[in-house]
Parts: sequence; C-alpha cells; structure tokens
Amino acid sequence: MNTITFTIERFDPETDPAPHTETYTVDINEGARVLDTLHAVREQCDPSLTYRYCCGSGQCGSCTVQVNGEPVLACMHEACDGMAVAPLNLPVERDLKVEMKSYLQDLTGITPGIFTGYLTVEANEAIRPIRDCIECLACVSECPAVAVTAFAGPTAMRQEMRIALDPRDDRDRASLTVDEGLFTCTTCQRCLEVCPKHIEIPGKAIEKLREIAHREGLTLPKHQTVADMVRATGRGVDRIMPTVLEQVPEVIEPVGKVRGEVGFFVGCMYNGRLPDTALKMLAVLRRNGIRVIIPPEQVCCGSPLIRTGQTEFIRELKRINIGCFTKRGIETVLTMCAGCGSTLKNDYDTPYRVIDINELMTEYGIEPPVSSSIPMTYHDPCHLRRGQGVTEEPRAILRMLTDDFREMPARCCGAGGGVRSGMAEVAADLGRDRREAIAETGAAAIVTSCPFCEFHIGEHSAVPVINITTLLFESYEKRDEESGEDSGWKDLPCREEE
Amino acid sequence: MVNIMPGDHVTDCHVLVIGSGGAGCRAALEASQYGETVLLSRTLTGKGGCTVMAEGGYNAVLAEEDSTGLHFEDTMRGGAYLNDPELADILVTESPDRFRDLTAWGSVFDVEEDCVPAQRPFGGQRFNRTCYAGDRSGHEMIATLTEQIRNTGIRQMQETSAIDLLMDGRRVAGAVTLDGDGTLGVITADATILATGGGTRCYDISTNCAAGTGDGFALGYRAGATLIDMEMVQFHPTGAVYPPDSRGRLITEAVRGEGGVLKNSLGERFMERYDTERMELSTRDVVSRSIATEILEGRGSEHGGVYLDVTHLPAAEIERRLPIMLEQFLQFGVDIRIQPMEVAPTAHHLMGGLKINPDAATTLPGLYACGEVAGGIHGANRLGGNALADTQVFGKRAGEAAGKAPAITLQVDIDEVLATEAARCDAYCRGTTPPHEITRELKHAMWDNAGIFRTKAGLKEVEATVSRLQNLVPKAADRRMLNECCTVTNMLTVARLIIHGALLREESRGAHVRQDITQDWTPADSPFGHTVQSLFGTAIEERRGAA
Ligand SMILES: Cc1cc2nc3c(=O)[nH]c(=O)nc-3n(C[C@H](O)[C@H](O)[C@H](O)COP(=O)(O)OP(=O)(O)OC[C@H]3O[C@@H](n4cnc5c(N)ncnc54)[C@H](O)[C@@H]3O)c2cc1C
Ligand code: SF4
Ligand code: SF4
Ligand code: FES
Repeated sequence: MNTITFTIERFDPETDPAPHTETYTVDINEGARVLDTLHAVREQCDPSLTYRYCCGSGQCGSCTVQVNGEPVLACMHEACDGMAVAPLNLPVERDLKVEMKSYLQDLTGITPGIFTGYLTVEANEAIRPIRDCIECLACVSECPAVAVTAFAGPTAMRQEMRIALDPRDDRDRASLTVDEGLFTCTTCQRCLEVCPKHIEIPGKAIEKLREIAHREGLTLPKHQTVADMVRATGRGVDRIMPTVLEQVPEVIEPVGKVRGEVGFFVGCMYNGRLPDTALKMLAVLRRNGIRVIIPPEQVCCGSPLIRTGQTEFIRELKRINIGCFTKRGIETVLTMCAGCGSTLKNDYDTPYRVIDINELMTEYGIEPPVSSSIPMTYHDPCHLRRGQGVTEEPRAILRMLTDDFREMPARCCGAGGGVRSGMAEVAADLGRDRREAIAETGAAAIVTSCPFCEFHIGEHSAVPVINITTLLFESYEKRDEESGEDSGWKDLPCREEE
Repeated sequence: MVNIMPGDHVTDCHVLVIGSGGAGCRAALEASQYGETVLLSRTLTGKGGCTVMAEGGYNAVLAEEDSTGLHFEDTMRGGAYLNDPELADILVTESPDRFRDLTAWGSVFDVEEDCVPAQRPFGGQRFNRTCYAGDRSGHEMIATLTEQIRNTGIRQMQETSAIDLLMDGRRVAGAVTLDGDGTLGVITADATILATGGGTRCYDISTNCAAGTGDGFALGYRAGATLIDMEMVQFHPTGAVYPPDSRGRLITEAVRGEGGVLKNSLGERFMERYDTERMELSTRDVVSRSIATEILEGRGSEHGGVYLDVTHLPAAEIERRLPIMLEQFLQFGVDIRIQPMEVAPTAHHLMGGLKINPDAATTLPGLYACGEVAGGIHGANRLGGNALADTQVFGKRAGEAAGKAPAITLQVDIDEVLATEAARCDAYCRGTTPPHEITRELKHAMWDNAGIFRTKAGLKEVEATVSRLQNLVPKAADRRMLNECCTVTNMLTVARLIIHGALLREESRGAHVRQDITQDWTPADSPFGHTVQSLFGTAIEERRGAA
C-alpha cells in the first residue's frame, strides 16, 4: 500500500457556480492506475465522485481525463503523488464526466452495406492505421481548430478518410469534409500527440483528404495561388525584398576554428520574408565555428503543398532539394524553419541527416550568451515540438539568455496547415488565444523558432516576438559593445555576381 | 397500447434491447427493421460490455477444406457435450453469414491474401477458423455495429440501467430504468431482448469489464425466467497477475495461437504433462487447471503465476499481430518482445444463462435473450472465438423474433410499478453497508470456494457468506449510487445461482470441477443434463439414454 495525495477538478452543474479543485489523500496499491485512485477516492473519501470507465484495459475509450494538463486514459496511466486530475476540454456533465454522446453520434459509417466480398490486402493495409480509434475524444478535446471554429474535429476526419479508403462505400466524402472544416486544421499534430492509439490523423487523414479534395477541384483559391507560385518560381512567397539566397555566398566560413559543417536549407519564409533573421542566425553560427554551405538552387520544401493536399509536383521539389545537397557531399542539413525541418524529416527520405538549429546549437555547444533578467516565455512551434520532438533544446538555450524564463501552455498559434492563408479568421482566433496566454505569463518578450509563428504571433501579441537566434545575436553584440572587441563575425561575406 | 399515460419517464417502443455489446447491437439492427427500437445501455453505446474488449477473434467456417460439421464437433467436444445440440448447430451454420454481414457493414478484419479472410488457430479446434482484426477483434465488431446503428433510427438510451423487467402478469413488457442521476423511468415494449452480457465480476479475479456484473441473469431470474448451467464458469488460463490492480486482465488466447509457450518457474513447458497432443492450445478448462496446479504445487512465478513466452517470435510479428498485448504490457513495464509475461487463470465467461429456444425466446413470453446472458450454446466450456460468433448469430435471431412479435395491449399500472421501485431505492438510501464492502467480500469468497476447484463443503461455505451478504442493505450515500446498489444486489443473485448450480451438479464436467466427487463416466456418457434454476424450483436433468 502506498499513500498518495492529489487533486481532482470537481464540478456539479446543479450546485456549483464554477469548477473547483479538491485535494484527496488515499491508499492505493503499488502500480495503481489513475482510475484505481479515482475508485479509491469514491470508496475512501467521497462516494459522489463521478467519472466514466468500463473496460479498465484501454480498449473502450470511456475514461479519458487530463492528468497535469495532458489527456490520458485513466485506466492505463500510472497514478503519481501530486498529480492534478481534471476533465477533458469538452462540456462537463459532472466532475470528470464530459459530454461525448452527441459527438460520437455524428461519426459517419459505411453505406450501402451490401456484401460484395472481402477486402484486398491493399485496402486492408491502407485502412488499418487509421482504424484503431477507440473514440476516446482526447484528440477532439485538444484540437485548436475545434476550439475556435465549426470543425468536425480530428477523429471525425479520421473516420471520413477511413470511409474514403474503403471500396465498399460509394459516396463522395471529400466535398462533405470541406463543409465539415477540412481546411481549418492547422496540422499542428496535437491530436497525434495525445492519441492513445498513436493514430497519425494529420498525415494519414487530413492531408490525404485534402489531396482528394484537390483532385476534385475543391482546393481553396489562396492555397491554389501558393501552388501556382511554387510551380512558377520554386518559391511559396513572392519577391518583395532581397532574399537570403541573393545575398549570401555558397559557403560561409566561420571566424576562428572550424568546429563543424552543415548545409543550410533556407526555406521560403526566411528567404523571402524574414531574411534578416536568417542572416543573424548565420552570423551566430559563424561566431560559433560552424561552416555553412548554402546551395543556391534549392527550392521550396513543398510543405505548403503537402499540408494542403496539392502533392502532384512534390517529387520534383524533392529531387532538387535532395540533389543540391548530396552533390556537394553534405552529410547534415540544417533547417531553422520548423515547418521545413518537419517536412524534410518526415515527408522526405533524405540521404543526409536533417537537424534543426536548436538541435545543432545543443549538439555543438555555443558560446554562452550574456544573460538578462527580462521575463521571457517560449512558444513551442507545432512543427518543432510535435513534428520533430524538439522541446528541451530551445528552453535550455533560453535559460542561458534570461534568468526569468516563464512557461506557457503549448498550443498552436494558428498559422500552420495553410490556415493562415486560407482561413484567416480561424488563424486570427487562435492567434488571439496565444495573446492571452502570453499576457498571463507576464513575460516582456516571447521567443520562438519558426517563421510562421513569428509572423503570426507578431500580429496578435502585445509584446515583441523574437527568434531565438536573433536573441543570441543581440546578446553577443552586447558583449562585444561592452568589451570593445569585434572579430568581424557579423560581417557576412557577400554573394559574388557570376 | 392503452392504460399507460406516457409521462416524462415513460418511453414506449416496439422492441427494447437491453445492452449494447455485440449481441445487443446486432439485435437492435435486426429489430429496427420491424418497428421502433430502443437500445438501452448502462454505458455509452458499444463502449460498455465485453465485446469491445474481445481480442482473439470470431469463429466461422469460411475455408473450403473446413466444414460446419467439424466446427460443430469441436464445439460439442469443447463443451463436454452439455451444449444444446440444436443451438450449437445454429451457431456453426449461421456464423459465416453473420461474419459476411459484418463485412458488408464495413468491418476490417485481417486478410490472408486478396479477398481471403485470415484465420488463426484457437484452442480446441481442429481447423484455423478464428477470424481476427489483430488483437482488437471485438473492437472491430463494435466499431462496425455502432457505425451502422448511427445510420439507423434506433433510439439510443445511454448510461441508463435496466434495474428490473416490467411485468404484465407473466409477460415481460419492457423494463424499469435508473439513470446516472438516480432518476427512475419505464420503457414499455411489445418485445424485450436481454443482451446484458456476462457476469464474472462476482469473482475477485476476472477479465470482465465493469459492466460484467451479470445484471441480466438476475433480472431474468427475478422475473421468473428459467436459467440453465449457471455453475459453468470459464476460467481463462491467462490473466495478468501484476500489478495488483490489474490482476485478471485478459491476456488473449491469440498469444498462444500465435505460438506463445507456457513455462513454470523451473523453465519446464509443463503442458507436456497435461495434454501432450494439444499442448498450449488445449481447451481452456484443461489449460487453466494445469496452470492452477503448477501454481498450487509451488512451481509458480514471482507474482504467483506462470510464464507465457513469445520472445522466440520475431519482434515485427508480435508488433503486428499482438499490438494491444504489447502496448498493455509496455504500460506496465514489461516488453513482451524480450521478456515473458506472467499469467494465471481468471474468471472469464459464464456459459450458463437464460434458457432459450432457436428463436432466442426465453421461457417468459415477451422476453428474448442473446449473447453471453443466454445459456446452452457453449455447454460446459466455450471455445475461444465462439462467443463473438454467438453474439451475432443469436443477436440476429433475437432481433428478428422480437421484431416479428405482435403488438400487445398492456395492463400495467405504471405508477404502482414506479412506487415499488421508489420504495426499493429509498431502502438503499437508508441502507447500512457501503456497496464496495459487500462486493469485496463476495468476490473473495467466490474466488476461494466457487472457483476452478470446488467441493461441497467449500460451496456451502460461500453459500452461507452470500446469504449473510444478502441480508445487508447496500447503502446509497447519494442518489447517484443507487445504480451501484442495484448492481450489488444482482451480483449476489448471480453468485447464488452459480453456487446452487455447482452444488446441484455432482460431477466434474468441462469447466466445473468437483474435487469431492469421483465419477466413472466421461462427459460424453454423463448421466446428467442441464442444471435448471428458476423462482419455481431447481433441478438437474437426467440424460435419457446415458449410461
Ligand atoms: C477480455 C475479454 C476478451 C474476450 N475475447 C473473446 C474473443 O476473442 N472471442 C470470443 O469469441 N469471445 C471473447 N470474449 C467473450 C465475448 O467477448 C463475450 O462473451 C461477448 O462479447 C458478450 O457479448 P454480449 O453482447 O453478450 O455482452 P457485452 O458485450 O458484455 O455487452 C453487455 C451490454 O449490456 C449492458 N448492460 C449490462 N447490464 C445492463 C443493465 N442492467 N442495464 C442496461 N444495460 C446493461 C452493458 O452496458 C453492455 O452494453 C472475451 C471476453 C472478454 C471479457
Ligand atoms: S493537426 Fe491540430 S488542428 Fe489538425 S486536427 Fe489535429 S489537433 Fe486539430
Ligand atoms: S483518434 Fe485517438 S485520440 Fe482521437 S478519439 Fe480516436 S483514439 Fe482517441
Ligand atoms: S476504461 Fe476503457 S479505456 Fe479506460
């Protein structure tokens, strides 16, 4: 027997004006799950505690609750002292029990339902990966698009795709899913992160449904424009200022000893919209001994096309982007855009290693910056946190930059998945959510590591948004100013006209 | 219908289906073709019950080389010839068609090659005839059935329990319900189908879900229906033993079907001593007793089980064919790709239940039963994979028969019924003992004395315990606990039925072992037939023509 103390968010709509937190201390067995502790509370403290469960073995999807802010199956997640248990972000019926019926009722099924034989291996293999859903609604409760707009939600999209893949169904699902909000998903991957069955809804359902929608001519006009631009220019943004690739030479040698060498995949946003940020990053690497090779023929990674289902010339983009680095013998390719990094890592099959700037700086180590005491918070870019699993590296760097680092909940800013361009109101709503979260931390600056987030949060936040490498740049600059030294690290060589 | 003022708490329909597991969902789909159908469940539709947890698969004769005759023989032999042969014949004959229904409705069972369902070997069968969807076969069925239900006009009443059948004289005319808030209601119906599933939750160690409390057996019994073979409790050989709160959780037979081997603490593959021919894939009764014997004789594992080992299989195969097992064990810190599992028997399935005819009609007019709550199909021991088939075959039959039932004119005083039930609830509100205290004691007593090995003395002892517990009034500290109090009452009734059956059956047969009795007959020529229990008396049938 162990004794644990933990909290539960309680709410009785009949008597309570608002949810409140109660603390309980109970005796439990070794290895007890969260569900066992809820049983213990009912038996030892308060028999009126209400929660849902049935199978006790992770198969029925009834028991999902939040533990320390993350949705988990109560019957499978191990209980721990000090945990905070709360209901999912869905309408609460009572205590930990949330409304699920109406959502489940709307999930679609096969029609017409006549036996015409068994499935082929191919159809079976295609459907399987998105079939395991236990309808626990963890994904729905965490989906940022569901929170701000009339989006049917991740598992509904999963189910639509599952039906679309099924030769037994004879309906056209794609146009329907567009009405259900197919284009409001930011591809933030939060649904995948919380799914107890690890179902890859963004990649295996949303983007695939968007592909079908695209084939049927249902692509949003704004998304179409981006695709046309990539086809014509190799870039997803138009030229409104001198780009990075126009300014830098193919090789940038570091000042001092060479500690490492990487190829740099610039990405459309840094190349054409935020070139200064990219140039400052290059200066930071220059000061830290990293040789950077920048093949000028590189093009858009294709992310804006893949996320929106416009995949017909992705192969050509991949060929160019893989070839330009391999022909130079580059073994590691650096990205500083979270979206490009995630795309190169997950949608490409690259012969070289792809590394995010935060990973690179952690791997090689950097000159410690001058620390400040400005309160700062960090926004996790979805494609960095969930797309690449990079969460600790930027935080560690940030803690070197300020002794007042403040966390805020990791949620999508709304810029991804073509939502910013195609569904501006949805993106704006999510951006405003971020503004509030930032304000709550009381931070004077918000640091991030993704051009889309920088741009989008910048429009909504009351405090400045700064790229993490820019912050390093400024800190080194300050050190130089104070010491009066200058190794010339900031003076990047210029591209020679050929 | 007349004589009823449909008030706030009265719902009227043609067919009421109680329970939304595999059997109830199938029955509702069928019944809804004939008239307004209500699907009542104590949980969310489909999410409650044991069907969604079923892992291993669904038995159906699909291959040319297999035959329903062979399936029938396997089923009868597995059931120690206590099965009702007519029901067993229907099961094996119709199971393939019902599998095709599921396919038509969108189920995604594994295929061996293009358009050929994959089938795995399961214990006690001479042919690989268990269709599966990885190790989430029951989930696949429920997903398919609930998708269809959402497409129909079936009215789902969820998170509401049936606490009694509604009686119109001797005829069943619906049910009295209690919702999560403790509000009573009445559903009136021309025909009522019990599909409430199994009830091994009255044992300390059980595979069943929280709804596996055997409500349907108790509801039927209280209404006057006849139940048969209630002593026939299947102990699944492989339940988890660790951590303590997860004891009993099923380790699917598919683990052995895929090649898993059982070993004791000495590393011996001990099944050699008990069934050299079939080894790990012997019938469940045999494997359970073998494991229990190994443990009792001191050759058990660290946490009081034996080892079940798949580490000799390629990791990729384990990942593909047993994903749920892999995932569940990982959550508890065991990687079955490189470590053996620890397992011990766990109370799994009630073969007995309400006596039904081929139309799934019980002995009470207006009442049908299908799925685990019905008895007779599996005899003294069920073959793995036959229960899922059973839910579909008899679910359809029950739905059809109930759907075709004529409309009736009721003569029930609903107010009086509600007043009686309200009095029962009030008694619980003034009760004396927290329900969980009663169930805790019940579960241990049942496990100790009505478990795998039984004796008259032990059964008498547990009978006394149950009697004592039945005299306590479970206390509802809050109206929301009324349901739990009803459930406890039902569990005690089920326990009593099991014990009585076990006392009545003075022989060892299938899953039922009486250590205090020596017998000189084999199951095939046993002098006994079904044990029969109802409000009106109990007996064991003599078998005509037996030695
Ligand atoms: C872990 C596990 C694995 C299994 N694996 C297999 C397998 O691989 N192959 C196989 O053939 N069999 C298997 N079985 C057995 C099989 O799953 C069950 O026998 C079968 O699913 C029972 O189906 P059912 O529809 O009768 O009941 P269930 O699926 O148990 O459904 C019962 C329903 O009744 C409802 N209910 C109960 N009481 C009330 C009430 N008072 N009021 C209202 N509603 C009520 C519940 O909410 C639920 O919806 C397994 C069983 C378990 C426990
Ligand atoms: S990727 Fe994000 S926005 Fe899209 S469905 Fe999943 S959680 Fe919702
Ligand atoms: S997709 Fe995953 S998270 Fe969403 S409902 Fe299904 S199982 Fe739960
Ligand atoms: S209780 Fe079924 S998934 Fe947790």
